[in-house]
Amino acid sequence: MTKIIFPAPVESEAAEQLRADVRAFLNDALADRTPLQRAESWSGFDRDFSRAIGQRGWLGMTWPKEYGGGERSTFERYVVVEETLAAGAPVAAHWFADRQSGPTLLRYGTEAQKHAILPRIVAGECVFCVGMSEPDVGSDLAATRTRAERQGDGSWKVNGTKLWTTYAHESDYMILFCRTSGGPADRHKGTSQLLVDMKQTEGVSVRPIIDLMGRHHFNEVHFEDAVLPADALLGEEGQGWAQVMGELAFERSGPERFLSSIQLLTELIGALQDSKGAAAEAAIGRLFAHLVTLRHMSRGVAALLEAGENPGIHSAIVKDLGAAFEQDLPDIARSLVDEEPDLQSTSNFAAVLAYTMMAAPVFSLRGGTREILRGIIARQLGLR
Amino acid sequence: MQDVSTLLLDSTQRLLSDLSERNASRTADAADLSADWHQIEEMGLPLAFVDEAHGGLGLDQKTAFELVRMCGRHVLAHPIVETMLANHFSVTAGGALCDGPVHSLGKLTRMQQELAALARAMQMAGALETILAMTISHVEERSQFGRPIAKFQAVQHSLALLASEVAAATAAADHAVGRFEEDADTATLAIGIARARIGEACSKVSALAHQLHGAIGYTREHRLHHFTTAVWKWRDEFGTQSWWTRRVGQMVLANGRGEFWPMVTSA
Repeated sequence: MTKIIFPAPVESEAAEQLRADVRAFLNDALADRTPLQRAESWSGFDRDFSRAIGQRGWLGMTWPKEYGGGERSTFERYVVVEETLAAGAPVAAHWFADRQSGPTLLRYGTEAQKHAILPRIVAGECVFCVGMSEPDVGSDLAATRTRAERQGDGSWKVNGTKLWTTYAHESDYMILFCRTSGGPADRHKGTSQLLVDMKQTEGVSVRPIIDLMGRHHFNEVHFEDAVLPADALLGEEGQGWAQVMGELAFERSGPERFLSSIQLLTELIGALQDSKGAAAEAAIGRLFAHLVTLRHMSRGVAALLEAGENPGIHSAIVKDLGAAFEQDLPDIARSLVDEEPDLQSTSNFAAVLAYTMMAAPVFSLRGGTREILRGIIARQLGLR
Repeated sequence: MQDVSTLLLDSTQRLLSDLSERNASRTADAADLSADWHQIEEMGLPLAFVDEAHGGLGLDQKTAFELVRMCGRHVLAHPIVETMLANHFSVTAGGALCDGPVHSLGKLTRMQQELAALARAMQMAGALETILAMTISHVEERSQFGRPIAKFQAVQHSLALLASEVAAATAAADHAVGRFEEDADTATLAIGIARARIGEACSKVSALAHQLHGAIGYTREHRLHHFTTAVWKWRDEFGTQSWWTRRVGQMVLANGRGEFWPMVTSA
């Protein structure tokens, strides 16, 4: 494969009408949110906001109506996602469930699970976390050591530790990727996905991990003889690897991979209002060209998903280029505006710059490192 | 795309491949070049942007731009795209079709310059595709330390980046052509975005391709330089990369902070 085409999305009037509605709603709902708060992007957590979005039918938009979904197109969902990101809305209370946990449940959950949980996600009332990474298992996910053993009565006993589990301390559920047979040497074989009720399960403890900015998003989740019911198994036992790759495809495919620093670009344009010049024009023109091109490619990914195709290489490219674009932003901003970055500053630019600078290292780590993504791209090109 | 267009694209692809292979294995003299041009004219390529009423092919714009991309995939000595544009400009100004290849377009109006700049964007996207394909073949064929260099992770990651830049260039070119087709009068921003983004891709792709080809790619004998030197030239024609990039920046800054995001979604 040498020609990588991002198909043009189908423009629809319904999607553009929806865009106007979403903008109007966000304009009101976020009126009091400062630029620094907006810069948190999809790390911002606010149950009330997620409930308000849910009430408008903007969660689980593409899911079947039987489970509370909206049966709307991938493009309409894309509009809601990009508009909330661009506005810097606090989406973390619904983000993971709407993006990947819900779709995974829809595909592999039992009817009872789907009827019980999906409508709550749609209502913005059900928070999910992602149980993939472990202390010794980062990019090499197949080396998972967390283990679920089937008991005589069909239930599962889980032991092990998950790491970097964003918002585990607020979550109602986790989708746990772990080993159900064999050992780490068996690699992809013998892994499964299980649904964990984070509020009701004994033997599950959540410990905070504080990041370099002093924030608490990450956690370590420890399982000690935690017992899950027999129907906690999602999909087929032993098929966890294929299922988790499908989940990662959802995790990597969206516009959050190049829009999470949009607030800094917005503030930079504001800061340059009175000091335009050749350097500012060239830098903003370049960034704008990158952004619009990334968005066009990302909408192509949505078009591939809508057509039922696997956008593996396309998603990897958008995520890798998107992370590079976002990570370049702070230094470009510093080179153009003579202000010290400072989280406490009353200058919106200085505060947002400080925040984004400190958030940037993680952009090429989360959801698949740069090295893993380039490996995926090379494999698709036939080099591995 | 209609069948006629598909046929035309297929036969153009064959003709351009033949011509580039033929020219790789000989030093073309004036008679050779004139024979080549005759074949190019027989195919109707210089008439890609001319409607049927003026003796042209009457192609939809998408197909015409596909032909331009093909010309980029096969960098030839002949000014096919320049002649396509010259014919279009001449007949739309009430003039006649040009006689023979046109090497220089002279002074252009703003609208003419934008079409020419967009054509260069498509040519660059085509040339970058070829550079990617050539580079993949090279790293698979070239062995060092007892194995194809494609097996080295450092090479794989460079190539992944090269492919990503080519994909971005293609997306930017396609997007601009789409906007131009919708309404040529309001496509300035999309063309500027394409020229800014593709110009940067040309720098990165050329650097990576030369690095991955090693010294052989820096010889006159190897055909890589036909493509890299072509994109180095094209990226600064009909408005330099710097000029187009600043133009985009001026438009964004003129609209200001509040209009920035709406501008992204309508660009």
